[in-house]
Amino acid sequence: MIRVERLVKDYPMAGGTVRALHDVSFEIPTGSLAAIMGQSGSGKTTLLNLLAGLDGPTSGRYWLNGRDVSGFGVVDWSRERNRTIGFVFQAFNLLPTLSALGNVELPLVYRRVPPRQRRERAQAVLEAMGLAHRAHHRPTELSGGQQQRVAIARALVGDPPLLLADEPTGNLDAETGDEILNLLAALNGQGRTIVIVTHSPEVAARCRMVLQMRDGRLLPTAGGVGA
Amino acid sequence: MTWADSLRTAWAGMWSSKLRALLTMLGVIIGVAAVITLVAIGNGASQAVASRIETLGTNVLFVTPGPGTPFTTRQVAYIRDNTPVARVVVPLLNSGGQLSVGTSTLSALVVGTTPGYQALGAIHLAAGRFLAPADLALNRDAVVLGANVSQALFGGGNPVGAHVSLLGQRFTVVGVLQPVGQGPGTSQDNSVFIPLPVAQFLLSTQKLSAVLVGASSPLAASQAQDLLTNLYTNRFGSASSVTVASEDQVLATLSATRATFTNLLAGTALISLVVGGIGIMNIMLVSVTERTREIGVRRAVGAVPEDVVLQFLLEAMVLSLTGGALGVGAGLVMVRLAPVFLKTPAVFTPSAVVLAFVFSTLVGLVFGLYPAVKASRLHPIDALRHSG
Ligand SMILES: Nc1ncnc2c1ncn2[C@@H]1O[C@H](COP(=O)(O)OP(=O)(O)OP(=O)(O)O)[C@@H](O)[C@H]1O
Ligand SMILES: [Mg+2]
Repeated sequence: MIRVERLVKDYPMAGGTVRALHDVSFEIPTGSLAAIMGQSGSGKTTLLNLLAGLDGPTSGRYWLNGRDVSGFGVVDWSRERNRTIGFVFQAFNLLPTLSALGNVELPLVYRRVPPRQRRERAQAVLEAMGLAHRAHHRPTELSGGQQQRVAIARALVGDPPLLLADEPTGNLDAETGDEILNLLAALNGQGRTIVIVTHSPEVAARCRMVLQMRDGRLLPTAGGVGA
Repeated sequence: MTWADSLRTAWAGMWSSKLRALLTMLGVIIGVAAVITLVAIGNGASQAVASRIETLGTNVLFVTPGPGTPFTTRQVAYIRDNTPVARVVVPLLNSGGQLSVGTSTLSALVVGTTPGYQALGAIHLAAGRFLAPADLALNRDAVVLGANVSQALFGGGNPVGAHVSLLGQRFTVVGVLQPVGQGPGTSQDNSVFIPLPVAQFLLSTQKLSAVLVGASSPLAASQAQDLLTNLYTNRFGSASSVTVASEDQVLATLSATRATFTNLLAGTALISLVVGGIGIMNIMLVSVTERTREIGVRRAVGAVPEDVVLQFLLEAMVLSLTGGALGVGAGLVMVRLAPVFLKTPAVFTPSAVVLAFVFSTLVGLVFGLYPAVKASRLHPIDALRHSG
């Protein structure tokens, strides 16, 4: 599903560049439930952003679903995110002016699905998340756990084969976090490839594959393919 | 994203911050309203003048006051006493006004004058009579209708004896004019004539628009012109305080005035276009900054740069077109109020609305483009990192 080779990411700064990723190489097979772990500042978010094409690498190559996507431009990546990648942000990133339903619909809007069909589909996904009764609420009228479930619904509405989640439980209490993780595990059970960035060893323990990062490098671990 | 989706989003965005949208649109609203009003006043003024000069014979002189010159009914006697070659001396007060009968309304040129007007030779009655001395003496609300006015309000029927409301007063129709038809002077067909004192009372002014002096020959007209020019120059100290001119001369001046007025209008339109556009561009740039994160989220779920351009461009267009529509509304109100408060005739033309529409579309496009393109150039990750 995902294969990267010698991925490097430099951030240009006033006093020289910061190298956030050093020659990272790994492979995540289709259907995996993978965790990316590491201390704060080790480069987890940077890596996830590169995997979603939200940012471009300084060098290195990337194959997604067997295709070399290293040379993708902004439009290619927009299409790719729209069709094959669901992204869950640490900070939810719901649009405050739209209802839960409006937020969930968004990927289908850009896929040019007609209004009625996308409304039905979004409603169905919200229902599966147990949020049918909150469909017309604004994000500010929802609890943190509910907001994160809306965000997951938005990532799932287009039925993407790959789900990338950046600390999806970081902003939630332990119990709500567990709920979200069970949800993700269930989605993985349906055959979706899921990559979760997390700080929590309990979460990592549930994953069949763990990528351990330190200072922008991948450590060889039991679960990971290693660098 | 489809056009319909973008439009809905743009409309919702505007609706959610109505006051801000209104303030943003103010430049366009004022610009469009100003253009519509100025066009209407320009039309009213030239029609009012043109209607007199194109109708009357060649031996008629126009005595018109310059701005600020006191020019009341007393001038009629003054001119008559000092111009022995004059055959008839007739005062005029021109205005625009709405006529209505039942539910049908019509705007027409309202001419307050005296029975002497008929002696100038341009009046041909189809039915009834022209204004009579008694109408003036008794301040009767009597009106003589031009052919088109009569046709529009009463169809083919004979309106003599019927009532019309005009300038907030109920008038009795005493006569109808024959159509002038083709050629010069057709604006008489769109005029109505009422007694001068009644017009002065209803428009609450003592000032006259003009005094017409009819001579019996071109030679007599020319003599009268010299005489009156000297008279008024001596009296008011300046040759431009009162203008004495024949038909040809007035026509020449009129076309020059029209050209000046057109330039003035173009200038006003251009300035308000730029001011309104800058207002819209300003608020769109603010909006792009405020919604940077939203742009990032939209890009993250699959919006391509064109989707973002379309969204913000349509938002600017919605602002400018709504502003244009409100401006047309405000302009229509001002066209109705102009005759009341400014004492100037104003004649509305539908082509001004087309002009306003084109102008607000252009404003939205031109000034919305830069913010929209700027929004679409944002890199998704930078947009998502934006705080606030
Ligand atoms: N936009 C940026 N400009 C410069 N340096 C950056 C930028 N983003 C991240 N970095 C640096 O890159 C390194 C990796 O950051 P990253 O956000 O990937 O860490 P992380 O593992 O996600 O940390 P956390 O667990 O706290 O979220 C850090 O040293 C950080 O300072
Ligand atoms: Mg992070």
